[in-house]
Amino acid sequence: MIVPMGHILIVSTTLFFMGLGCILARRNLIMILIGIEIMINAAGLVLVGASAFWRQADGQVFVLLLMGVTAAEVAIALAMVVYLYGFKRNLDIDNFDGMRG
Amino acid sequence: MSRELIFLIPLLPLAGALLNMLGGRFWPRRVTESLAVAAVAGATLAAALLWPLSGGEGTTVELFGWLRAGPLQVPMVLHFDRLAACMALMVTGVSTLIHVYGTGYLHRKEDGVRFFVLLNLFVFAMLTVVLADNLLLLLLGWEGVGFCSYALIGYWYREEENASAGRKAFLVTRCADVFLLAAILWLFQVTGTLSITAINAQAPFLAPGTVTLLALLLLVGASGKSAQLPFMTWLPDAMAGPTPVSALIHAATMVTAGVYLLCRVFPLISQSPTGMAAIAAVGTLTALYAATCALAQRDIKRLLAYSTMSQIGYMFLAVGAGTVTGAMFHLLTHAFFKALLFMAAGGIIHLAAGEMDLFKLGGLARRAPWVFWPLLAGILCLAGIPLTGGFFSKDAILLASFARGGTFYQVLGLLGLLTALLTAMYSFRLIYLVGPARNSIPGEAHHLPSSMLWTLVPLALAGLSGGLLNLPAAWGGNQWLEGVLSAPLIAEGEAGHGLELALGLTAAGLSLAGLLWARWRYAGKPEPRPVGTSGTFFLKGWQADRAIETLLLGPFRAIARFWSTMVDERLLEGGVFLAARSCEGFGQQLRRLTSGRLGHYLTAMAFGLGAIMVWVLLQSI
Repeated sequence: MIVPMGHILIVSTTLFFMGLGCILARRNLIMILIGIEIMINAAGLVLVGASAFWRQADGQVFVLLLMGVTAAEVAIALAMVVYLYGFKRNLDIDNFDGMRG
Repeated sequence: MSRELIFLIPLLPLAGALLNMLGGRFWPRRVTESLAVAAVAGATLAAALLWPLSGGEGTTVELFGWLRAGPLQVPMVLHFDRLAACMALMVTGVSTLIHVYGTGYLHRKEDGVRFFVLLNLFVFAMLTVVLADNLLLLLLGWEGVGFCSYALIGYWYREEENASAGRKAFLVTRCADVFLLAAILWLFQVTGTLSITAINAQAPFLAPGTVTLLALLLLVGASGKSAQLPFMTWLPDAMAGPTPVSALIHAATMVTAGVYLLCRVFPLISQSPTGMAAIAAVGTLTALYAATCALAQRDIKRLLAYSTMSQIGYMFLAVGAGTVTGAMFHLLTHAFFKALLFMAAGGIIHLAAGEMDLFKLGGLARRAPWVFWPLLAGILCLAGIPLTGGFFSKDAILLASFARGGTFYQVLGLLGLLTALLTAMYSFRLIYLVGPARNSIPGEAHHLPSSMLWTLVPLALAGLSGGLLNLPAAWGGNQWLEGVLSAPLIAEGEAGHGLELALGLTAAGLSLAGLLWARWRYAGKPEPRPVGTSGTFFLKGWQADRAIETLLLGPFRAIARFWSTMVDERLLEGGVFLAARSCEGFGQQLRRLTSGRLGHYLTAMAFGLGAIMVWVLLQSI
């Protein structure tokens, strides 16, 4: 294995927290979705690295599954974004507080 | 003759009641009346025809098992012996006449179907009590009698007074029924059976203390239905019902049930001298109490109600003095003349357009001789004028009491004699107030239906000649009832004819003294005297209602109020409200968490994630 496992973990953790930071910091709905994508892919990177490390195909199969799920999620999320934009004419999440107790 | 036919006696009135209940509204009034009368008349006929079956040990018929659970066997079983046959004949016979009277009494009044249905049910319930061999079956009839009395006393329930009188009768008798139920359960525990004949057979082998307590419990149970001290307050108020109902309650059904119950379990209670003494004492005191109250009454029906209470007291004295024959003898003659008195009183009230005040009635002798003469016959029996039925039966009881010996029974006998004097006084007071014409004769000429007149005649004849049932040997009689019940009035050789004759003469003298007193006091004196404090005291029945109110109902209400306001409203309801309010307040605080902002939720999620990771880290160290 060319790249050591420790490096893969560092990169993916950094990616994950960058995605998390994006989610927490941004107010735009699309940016939040992007943050989610980054976090999912960080997890996927760990899975691929671990798969190569232990020489088992399971991790790669799992990543394929993850990609399918992400595609579906993005499809639904973008459809909702379009709908919400039509609803409020912007995508600032602070405008959507219909669930306030 | 088939033994199962005995079931016809109670089932015929039940069938009449059911038919009228279901179809009463579809057919005309005449049919309802005829069905009701025919049902009871059929029962009378059945009881008369089946009389031979009651000979010897009697006939016991089991129709089917009702409850079967291990040792508890409650079959539908009737026991038809001489005692039950006498009672059944009297109940059905008198009830038939009262039913016929009722057709005239309720003529052209609304709601007749309900009246006749309840009347038939009343007779059915009473016949169940009379014929049942099983104590639980007896209790069923017993409660049926209580229910029917409630429904019939409050028959005109639209007036609050009547409805509450019905409730009072039901509740007061119910209180005593609890004791009867306790006695029944205890008997089952001790003897392992509920059959009256089996219990009576086992009676000599029971522990004396148990028998005494059982006798006392049975006494209290019987006191409720028979309106003895201290459960007597319902009877005067029961006059709120229609007059045929009063006649039925006072003569044939209801109040005699207690006496009959004691006669039925006589082999048991006679094992306990204490119990017998208590029964005799309760009877005598009630007789005296009710007689003093009757002297002061102004309402004709209340006067008769108190007189019933007094006469039932005599019957209790008879049972206590150990003579079932005496009790049954007086029960039978009393049934005849008391039904007669109530029916005559109903006629008088009808004639006077609902007026019941004795001092406003009058002139009956001239205006309605057909009511007056039967009334006089009934009064003569009640007062115990010699040679009437009441004279012989009352004499038999007093004789039994004196012949039993011992100071206790002598004193009770003397009190009984005093009561006899009072009885004669209030009886003739009634006659002197109602009979002669005085200044005020209220009411326009009401017409009495013929069925309200001719029914009085057989009762008057039966009452007057009732002594023939058990004419004492001293009067040359054959003592038929003693032979039939195979229970001698008094133990052999305890009392000579001398005592019997002396007692008869004394009783005759006392009744004549009562007559003279009433004549001196009331004859030709139209205006009532002002009522003093003692008069009010007796009028209100020794203030028994007020005493019960202060001693029993008042504290009961106070306790109930304490529980309802302090415990229920403040404590329990307060606790519930406190819990509800705190939940609500907590929720109010919690709702602030849901701000509806996505950022807040995501932050919370991130912190949660961090916490989980920290926890996992700490675990792995």
